[in-house]
Parts: sequence; C-alpha cells; structure tokens
Amino acid sequence: MKLRVARSREGGEITHYDLYKIETKKGMTVLDALFQIQDKMDPSLSFRYSCRGAVCGSCSMLINKEPRLACRTQLSEVQKEDMKLKIFPTLSDIPQGWNPEQEILIEPLPNMPILKDLVVDMSRFYDALVSMELWVDSIEGDEYHLQSIEERKKIERYVNCILCAICYGSCPVNAINQEYIGPAALAKAFRFSEDSRVTNSSRYIEAAKSAKGAPLCDLIMNCVKSCPKGVGPGGAIRQIKSR
Amino acid sequence: MRWLKITLHEHDVLVVGSGLAGLRVAIQLAKDFDVAILTKVHPLRSHSVAAQGGINASLGTGDSWEQHAFDTVKGSDYLADQDVVEILAKEAPRAIIENERWGTAFSRTEDGKIAQRPFGGAMFPRTCYAADRTGHNLLHTTFEQALRVGVKFYNEWFVTSLVRDGDHVCGLTAFDISTGDVHSFAGKAVVIATGGFGRVYSHSTNAVINTGDGCALAFRIGAPLKDMEFIQFHPTTLFGSSILMSEGARGEGGYLVNALGERFMDKYAPEKMELAPRDIVARAIKTEINEGRGIDDQYIHLDLRHLGKDKILERLPGIREISIYFAGVDPIDEPIPIRPGQHYSMGGIHCDKNGMTPIEGLYAVGEAACMSVHGANRLGGNSLLETLVFGRIVGQRIAEYLPNAQRPSSTCVEDEAFKIRHKLQEWLLKDKGENPSEIREVMGETMDRLVGVFRKESDLKAALTMIRELKERFKNVFAGHSDKRFNYSLIRILELENMLDLAESIAMGALMRRESRGAHWRLDYPERDDENFLKHSLFTKVEDYVKTEIIPVNLGMFDVKERTY
Ligand SMILES: Cc1cc2nc3c(=O)[nH]c(=O)nc-3n(C[C@H](O)[C@H](O)[C@H](O)COP(=O)(O)OP(=O)(O)OC[C@H]3O[C@@H](n4cnc5c(N)ncnc54)[C@H](O)[C@@H]3O)c2cc1C
Ligand code: SF4
Ligand code: FES
Repeated sequence: MKLRVARSREGGEITHYDLYKIETKKGMTVLDALFQIQDKMDPSLSFRYSCRGAVCGSCSMLINKEPRLACRTQLSEVQKEDMKLKIFPTLSDIPQGWNPEQEILIEPLPNMPILKDLVVDMSRFYDALVSMELWVDSIEGDEYHLQSIEERKKIERYVNCILCAICYGSCPVNAINQEYIGPAALAKAFRFSEDSRVTNSSRYIEAAKSAKGAPLCDLIMNCVKSCPKGVGPGGAIRQIKSR
Repeated sequence: MRWLKITLHEHDVLVVGSGLAGLRVAIQLAKDFDVAILTKVHPLRSHSVAAQGGINASLGTGDSWEQHAFDTVKGSDYLADQDVVEILAKEAPRAIIENERWGTAFSRTEDGKIAQRPFGGAMFPRTCYAADRTGHNLLHTTFEQALRVGVKFYNEWFVTSLVRDGDHVCGLTAFDISTGDVHSFAGKAVVIATGGFGRVYSHSTNAVINTGDGCALAFRIGAPLKDMEFIQFHPTTLFGSSILMSEGARGEGGYLVNALGERFMDKYAPEKMELAPRDIVARAIKTEINEGRGIDDQYIHLDLRHLGKDKILERLPGIREISIYFAGVDPIDEPIPIRPGQHYSMGGIHCDKNGMTPIEGLYAVGEAACMSVHGANRLGGNSLLETLVFGRIVGQRIAEYLPNAQRPSSTCVEDEAFKIRHKLQEWLLKDKGENPSEIREVMGETMDRLVGVFRKESDLKAALTMIRELKERFKNVFAGHSDKRFNYSLIRILELENMLDLAESIAMGALMRRESRGAHWRLDYPERDDENFLKHSLFTKVEDYVKTEIIPVNLGMFDVKERTY
C-alpha cells in the first residue's frame, strides 16, 4: 500500500506530493500510516492528532478526495467508500500521477488556509464560536434544571458535534465564500436555541440568521453526508431558515 | 536569525493544560486576574474529551457524601488522603450543578432528573453521565464558559520547562509549534494541569498526547512526584490501538474466550465470571496470555456473537462502531480481539488539598496531580470529578496567594529560554544519532512487559536497568531532518524525554513497594502490608539521582480494613 501525501513546507498551497510505501497490518488506520511515515521515513511530515479514537476532532483531512477523520479510516476500506458529495474544485482536481488503484491520496482539509502539509488554519472556524457567543449565558443558582428525556433528545444529535470541521471542509459554499460561518457553528447555535433550559433562545437564532450565517447556505447537504458523528447540520440550518 | 529572537510574555497566572482541570482553574481566576492557558493542542482536543462512563456525585435520595467518601477510600485500598476525599465527596453535587447550569446535556430519568448509573466499587448508583460521551459534553461546555469569561489562550504551544528562582517558581518557557520559536513567560503562579502519562506504556487507552509533560517538568525543578507505581490497567482494550472497550460489553453478556475456545473466567471468579472487578479480570486475561492460551500469544477474544445481531445493534452500537472502524472486525460475525492496557495514572505531582506543591507559586491539579484522592486505585467517575472540584479550589487558593506574591524577575525566564533554544538547536543540528521512535517503542514495550499488571523484583530490576540504558541512549538522540514550523517530530522527542523520567520513577516505586495494594500487584509480595506500606512514596530529583522516601497517609474518618467486595 502506498500513500501519496500533499506537502506544503511554507503553507499557502500544495507544492508537491510525496509517495510513501506503507508496511500495513490488519486494522491499520490512515493515522497509523502517517505515524509510520513520521517515525520511520520522514520526520518532517506535519499533521494533527490527539485521541486516535475519533472523539477529539483533530485529524480531519482529505482522504481520496473525501473529508474524513484519519484515525477512523481503515486503510483497507478507503477505496471502497463513497460519500457521494457534490463536487467543487478541491474535490475534483486530481493531482498528476495519482494512481487510485494503488495509492491513497492524502491532502489537507479544504476551505481553510494551509499552514504546513496537512495542518490547516482553523481560526475562521473557531472564531465563530466567539463572534456568535455560542455558550450559555449562565446565571448562578443552587439547583440544576429539570429536563425531560424528550427535551434532551431534541438537542442530542447537535450536542454530539466534536467540532472537527469536516462539514466546513466539505461545503461548496465555504469553498467559495470565506465569510460563511459554516454548518457546525449554525448547528451549535440551533442546539442552544432548542435547549429547554435556555431562556433567551431567540438570541441564538438571530445570530444564526445574520448575513454571514444561514442565508448563505444553499442546502447542498454535503455536511450531512460527510459528518462522522451523525450530527447532520443541514437539518438544523433548514429549520433556522424557516424561523 | 529569527531563531535567536526570544519574546517575553507576562501574566499573573500561567495555566499549563486546557483539559477540564486547567479550564476550571482559569475560569475561577479570569474575572479578577490576568490568567493565560498554554496548551499543546487546541483545548477541545484535550484528553478529557474521551472520558465515556460518567462523573460521580451523591445526588440521589438515600445517598450521602459520607457514603461516597467511604467508597472512594475503600476503593483506594486505604491509601487516599481522607481529608482530600472528604472535600471531593462534599463538593461533588456543587460541581455537577454548576456544569449542568452551564449547559451540559446530562442524560435524564423519567422525571427529568440527572440520570445516574451504578459503577464499579460504588454502593449506590451515583455516576452522572451524558450517554457514553460524558467527557465530551463536560469539556465542550466548560470550554464555552472559558470563552465566555474571556480566558486568554496560547493554543498549540508546548511548554518546555518551568523556571524556579530560589524557593519559588517564576515562570516557564514554551515552544510555539506554529513558528518553532521558544518564548519565555513570567508569572507569579504556575498551574500544572497536563493530565496523565499513559503513553509511558505502549498499550494505553490514553490519547497519544498523554505523555505527562507537566509531571516531568515539575520533577526537574525539584517538585516531588508521589505514588508513581500506582497505574490502573483496564481489562478490555482493543488489540492494536488499545482503545477502551467499556464494561458494557460484558455487562450485556459478552464472553471472554481464550485460544482454546474456553470461557476461562470460571477458573478465576466462578460466580461473577466476566463481571468480576476490573483488576481481577485484568489479571485473569494476563494469566491466560502468559500461560500460552492467548491468540497468537497476544490477546484473547471478547465474544458477543451469541447475543445476536439485534441486541448488539440496539445495546452496543458504540462497541460495534469501535470494532469496525479500529480493528476491522464486526462483532456480529467475529469475536473482538482484546487485552488489558494502561488506563489511568493515580500518581503525579505531590501537592496538598489546595494543589500547593513544596515550591512556592507552583500548583498542580487534575490527573497530573497527586493530592491524593485515588490512593492505590481510582474508582471510575472520580477523576472527572477531581478536575472540576479541585480546579475551582486551586483557583480560589491562587486568588488568595496572588496579592502577596512577588513580581517575578523576567531575566530568570529569559535565561532559561536561551538554554532551551540552545538544547533544541543542538538536537536539530546533529546529523546522526539514536532514533527516538525506537527508544519510545522499547520503553513502552518494557513497561508493558515488566511493570504491568503483574510485577516481581527481577522484572522490575530489569525494567529499571533498561529505562536507564534508554536514558543514556536518549542523550544522543537524533531529531532527523525536519522543518522549524509544525515540527511534531521534535515535540515527540520532548515528550519522550519527559516520559523516560516518569518511567524510571514508576519502576523505582514498584520495586520499592514490597506489597500488593490496589492496582499494584507483586507476585512476590501478594499481601497488603499496612505496617510498612500504608504510606505514600515520594520521588525527588536531587542533582543527578532520584531520592525516594515514604510519608504518612492522612487517615481519620474511616478505619483501615481489608478490601473485599
Ligand atoms: C478512555 C478513557 C475514558 C475515561 N473515562 C472516564 C470516566 O468515565 N469518568 C472519569 O471520571 N474519568 C474517566 N477517565 C479519566 C479522565 O478522563 C481524566 O483523568 C481527566 O479527563 C483528566 O483531565 P485533566 O484536565 O487533568 O487532563 P487532560 O484532559 O488530559 O488535559 C491535559 C492538558 O494538558 C495539555 N498539555 C500537556 N502537556 C503539555 C505541554 N507540554 N505543554 C502545553 N500543554 C500541555 C494538553 O494540551 C491538555 O490540554 C477516562 C480516561 C480514559 C483514558
Ligand atoms: S457537525 Fe459533524 S462534521 Fe461538522 S464539526 Fe460537528 S462533528 Fe464535525
Ligand atoms: S485523533 Fe482524535 S479524532 Fe482523530
């Protein structure tokens, strides 16, 4: 098995691809393969990681032209999978020399500036958390709120978001419009507005409906198809639009 | 040369680590003081995010903080300091209520209360949870609140050393991962909240980044480490990646089966079988493998097939997902390969119930600290609790300390940054030497094999010799040809240097403790020995050797008894 990995020493754009031959074993993930490269072949390869168990959201990247968590992607499965995403240039431009039969293509997550190799600048993605004030305006108190099982169920799928930015990297609108705050932040805003314990829920919907938010979404639904946690931000955005 | 440029920063409080513990300290202080968090990964990528099972608090009718405290002390095999446990148990409901009010989506009961599940070693179902994603929920919520109160973050900064000026700490040095520059930070107080050091072992449920940096850095400036030999092993971790396979799989009726196809637990716990306590199951699995009945001599099977497709899909979707994505095995058709693995570090930086270390201005909290609230064995659900309860308390203590603290001298941190820069440059300029990943692998394998579930003198001596040899080899480490920016290979070398120090103290502690207590099991000393060892162990770096000593445990509330279930 070979990995063809995008490289960018100075950041900005992909300058070339390096080809590495991986010694595979059963159960091996793309992240394992990247560590093998870093440990045994090329210490200069940069990529982010932490939990290696698909819970921390560090290792999002483009694998065979689909945005995925490297730690949750088995080498043996990559070629079989197809998310059926709506294509935009980063997903359709095939680098010269790539042989999809024999090589797995690894590139940085789209729609964010490349800092080095597979490391991208996520500031725009994170900044929305602050600019939209995506938190509970907490009030001191001595007791916890009651919440019914059904009420909790309404927010559960949104609460499961790990902020991996895969939706952001898969979105054709984010690809052309840097202003768009992206699916995850909108889903998170919706999560607060739907929470039975939140008293000022309208403020989250207002933030989501601002010019850079829900109005820019074309309901393409790549976010729903690519999300590794079944959050389905597109559904939340559709509901925000209808309010 | 940009490499030579050193930048100086100054804050009242420098918090190292943005897991639950670090965030909670910072939230406490942000309103009144200038507090900054340095973290080697973005806060949401901290290992707290991975905690599954839950967090303990005596919220239920019929439960009490005293009962919680008793379970904790008994679980600790009486090595926990009882005054600290008292605070943990008393403050627990407060911590849960606070986090719930901040927005954590705890699972609920029919009448809308926070749901609580039974957990090993607890006499009452007191573990609050948010599905099997409790850590994820708590961390995201706590991070939101840290943003709300405006905590200053240095994300993706790797702290390289702490700086001491006489009897007090005056700051630290840190490596900006995005540029490769070393900066100096002056501060009146420094808080170590860097989490556990599971990666000293190669089979660990911990994140790759759990390398115990803060413990090693504190140790290097003379802060003692405590109870390092107490390492918790989880019986069922996925073969290969060592990802945690929660007890749920056995709870639903899964079998543990060896290479001969035998359900072997009947030999070890004929009544409870697969549902015996964690340490017993871990030792049973290890014995099967050691005696040649493991599959490929490496693992055994967790077999769920007899539960049937429907039950697996309905009750154990998480386990199935992990097996498929991380081992390429669908438990509906095939048994899951598992083995015991390192799970939690009970030891850490020696500090009191306010997080104070013997060095003025230096505090520790969370899994990096050893107050000691877990003693020889942590109960599930108590460690998330520790981060939130003591995060707040340490913050309060620092708020009292700051007004009288002296302003640190910036020259001492700048001199130190100069030294670190020099050290890194030496590594980078070398063109041959020892391969760090090889040293890391040998260290992990040595710790797994010789300082694992079963311990004995000859093994521990061999381990210590090996670790010291690796430390020698490390002196000649070769960083490889890399770039300055985002040089994760260099980060991994710095982490390895830290882990080697911790591995040495773990092996020393295990050798010194000639008894079996909690998670520490000595084949050659199978009994608990209260007369000689109802004591904490301490490890202090003195010039080029490690001084070991023992100090008393704070007893008081509960009498020391045999630990039986
Ligand atoms: C798989 C798993 C499941 C668990 N489940 C439970 C459970 O159900 N209940 C429970 O109570 N406990 C559980 N635990 C234990 C619990 O999750 C941890 O003990 C707890 O989260 C530790 O939190 P912390 O804030 O101390 O450290 P962490 O969350 O580990 O954070 C450490 C921080 O330090 C930073 N850091 C480290 N080194 C450096 C450096 N050199 N420079 C800068 N920053 C640095 C990191 O970036 C990170 O932000 C579990 C543990 C594991 C492994
Ligand atoms: S919605 Fe899904 S894809 Fe988007 S950040 Fe959250 S978990 Fe990742
Ligand atoms: S490393 Fe955490 S999600 Fe992949």
